[in-house]
Amino acid sequence: MIQAMIHYHGDLITAFELTGHADSGEYGQDIVCSAVSALSITTTNALQTVAGVIPDVQSDSVNGGLLIVKLPAINNHEQSLKAQTLLAAFELGMADIAKIYSQYVNLKINQ
Amino acid sequence: MLEMNLQFFSHHKGGGSTANGRDSAGRRLGTKIPDGGLATKGAIIYRQRGTHIYPGVNVKRGGDDTLFALADGIVKFERLGRNRRQVSVYPVSEAVAK
Repeated sequence: MIQAMIHYHGDLITAFELTGHADSGEYGQDIVCSAVSALSITTTNALQTVAGVIPDVQSDSVNGGLLIVKLPAINNHEQSLKAQTLLAAFELGMADIAKIYSQYVNLKINQ
Repeated sequence: MLEMNLQFFSHHKGGGSTANGRDSAGRRLGTKIPDGGLATKGAIIYRQRGTHIYPGVNVKRGGDDTLFALADGIVKFERLGRNRRQVSVYPVSEAVAK
């Protein structure tokens, strides 16, 4: 099961953590894993390319199953707005996936 | 930037395992003394589960359906009715006469 945690500070998302494996199918056919992978990797890369923010990223590219992304302090209002928009979309997607595939994804919000 | 990997949160190839893969040893069933063979008293002639073959003359069925000889003699596999088979043991003198 994938354990997902989204961290808030006030109204702002400051970080998200994803650990574990979905195990909803064989390697190459695990649709839940691919959904979470696509969503989280795209969000992480978009923070840099779209919002212009360089997050602190911890990931295990060898074994997979570990991705921790933390936002740095952002002074630029526009950058912060873009980053929060991307992270809000990420949370929406994760919440939907976790709702449908609850036996494979567990989402927690840390306020 | 992270490289896109759609199986990032999936167990890697070969990581899986299966709950199958067990089997019991073969029970070595079947004929132990062939037709025309010489059986001694108490010798096992045929091992089986259920009665593929029925006990005939001088043959008895054990608790696990094994057929064994009640006397010394020649083993004969015979028909029993329309679609059954039985095995008998005939003492040598009788067997020669048959």
